[in-house]
Amino acid sequence: MNAQSGTLSSASAGQPAGAAVADWSPYAQRDGHPFDALYASLLPEIARLIGLYEQKRSALIPMAHLFQEHEGYVSANAMAAIAYQVGETPATVESTVSFYTLLYRKPVGKYVVQVCRNLSCLLNGAEEIMDYAREQLGIGHLETTADGLISYEEVECLAACDRAPCAQVNLEFVYDLTRERIDAMIAAIKGGTYEIAPLAQTAKPGRTWRVEQDNGRKSAGGMNVESPNNAGGIGDRSGLVMFDLIVGKAQYESRSNERLVHETTLRPELSENGHH
Amino acid sequence: MADVITPVLTKGIGELNLRDIAVYRQQGGYEQLRRAVMEMTPKEVADLCNGSNLRGRGGAGFPTGRKWSFLPNNGRPRYMVCNCDEAEPGTFKDHMLLEETPHQIIEGILIGAYAIGCEHSYIYIRGEFKRGFEIMRDAVQQARDAGFLGENVFGTGKRLEFTIHRGAGAYICGEETGLLNSLEGKRGEPRLKPPFPAIKGLYGEPTVVNNVETLAYLPYILRNGPEWFAKAGPERSPGFKVVSISGHVRKPGNYEVAMGTTIRQLIDDCAGGLRPGREFRGVQPGGGSSACLFEEHLDLPYDFDSIAKAGSMLGSGAMVVFDDTTDWVKAAHSLIRFYAHESCGQCTPCREGGDWIERTLRRILDGRGVDSDIDVIVSAAHQLTGLNLCALGDSIEPFLASVIKRYEADFRAYITRGSAQRVAV
Repeated sequence: MNAQSGTLSSASAGQPAGAAVADWSPYAQRDGHPFDALYASLLPEIARLIGLYEQKRSALIPMAHLFQEHEGYVSANAMAAIAYQVGETPATVESTVSFYTLLYRKPVGKYVVQVCRNLSCLLNGAEEIMDYAREQLGIGHLETTADGLISYEEVECLAACDRAPCAQVNLEFVYDLTRERIDAMIAAIKGGTYEIAPLAQTAKPGRTWRVEQDNGRKSAGGMNVESPNNAGGIGDRSGLVMFDLIVGKAQYESRSNERLVHETTLRPELSENGHH
Repeated sequence: MADVITPVLTKGIGELNLRDIAVYRQQGGYEQLRRAVMEMTPKEVADLCNGSNLRGRGGAGFPTGRKWSFLPNNGRPRYMVCNCDEAEPGTFKDHMLLEETPHQIIEGILIGAYAIGCEHSYIYIRGEFKRGFEIMRDAVQQARDAGFLGENVFGTGKRLEFTIHRGAGAYICGEETGLLNSLEGKRGEPRLKPPFPAIKGLYGEPTVVNNVETLAYLPYILRNGPEWFAKAGPERSPGFKVVSISGHVRKPGNYEVAMGTTIRQLIDDCAGGLRPGREFRGVQPGGGSSACLFEEHLDLPYDFDSIAKAGSMLGSGAMVVFDDTTDWVKAAHSLIRFYAHESCGQCTPCREGGDWIERTLRRILDGRGVDSDIDVIVSAAHQLTGLNLCALGDSIEPFLASVIKRYEADFRAYITRGSAQRVAV
């Protein structure tokens, strides 16, 4: 079946789990993709998850966890499948999935090491632990080793402050971290003898799986601004320079008026609603 | 030491396998749920809770009975949602309760659900507590097999359904309307209030969101009577509290005490005091969002009102203790980074302000700070307070402002050292 042949309405109608696997979503990448087989095998579990709630959209995050458990991340196919199941568009599902840090939209390593960087751990030496871990792994925050084995992330409070510094490996707690424990952990992971089971991995991870938020500029106003004192607020000229270029110039004003007139003729409701 | 610690919720932890329903029942477990469902009306249960003056243990300290009383009598379905999205820096009580005594939590939730007339209750467990989620899942199955929850509880024909929901990593889902959005399968962004969840909550129906610890006290209030609870601690914030103590202490851990125990007793008698040779510098009494307290506050009783009067808050009951080795700039930066990272991004003051203060602090740490930075971050933190949909943005100011007020010299030292190095180069 052609990926483009479905319509939006057939997807948002949200057929229940159990409909023929072959035409479950117009958004999926098809042609015998291994995802179809996985999806078919997970249908009973999907139906169970939806049954737990009074509205099916509540099962969105549990389903994302389920696909991630099997694929190692929440793939575009998985998001399309979830969208089909809950009767939303894939964009809506991606919007939700992208909100949560534990749902990966790109492949990660077989072991995700998350070291706590928050207050109680910091007071008990988390900085040295994080420096050491980065050095030993040869990667930084939010990065995956080249062999795709280990992903490393520095995370916020894990609620184990009594046994700081702490970390989670594949969401299992590792307490009272020391350099020796990190050495032992890395050696065991590399040797395949680590007590915590690896995550599923169905695609090779890239260097990172998420945009680095902490050094990122969250808003356009903050883009490429060197001094945080001028992060797009009052006194920051970076945005105003652009503004000055446009406002008050006759050609822009007339073009803008032209477009409004044009749109109003095309869509009479614009003027009726007083939008012009 | 023994006289300060009064185990109620924490009783038996470390000695008994309370995850096993048989062991929990030997301790009198599920007896109060049975009594409530079979012998009492919902109103009688709610009255007992009201009589105990129980206040919410999740952070805000709102009286639980009053929260329940806001539910309208409109014949609509009602929901009880238990908040186990514990992620406040320094708090680890729910983590322990969830992994060690899941049945106590289930019993508390179901008693609360029965009291408010809810047929389907939910528990929202933080995504990182994968192990706790599995333990809770097993416990719920045991309780279901025993007929304590489901379609026909204790054979009375009453329905108390129960669903465990696991989040996926977002501190903001601990905010009750963010939690409800997340439970509905949406982004965990807090909602505009009013309407409060009591009027329009989960699926648009009247909903109560209570903390794990709050609900877990219900079986004991039913068993021992509301007077027992009300008598422990001061009149206006009675009962017991599981206090998570961490940071620079000898024995960090969860200690359950009667409200009104002093901060000094908590640090010295419970957590074993400071490490040898160290001096006390400060304590954060109620999680990352609370202002720091200092030497002069050590003899304050640890209860909602006394801590609030001192200009801080009891919050979730997480004490982080600082000794003289503390680098205050790093400590402040760590907490501000947390709020900047966890901001959901809906409200501009919180999204931009937190990020901006974090970057200024990091610049000071990097030795590139300028003298005006300190006034600027204090003023920015103050100005973004109160302009957001939820309390996350407002949580940026208290610790930062209190620490800068007390230890401004430490911040200045970073700046002076940085500029001296620049001159030398």
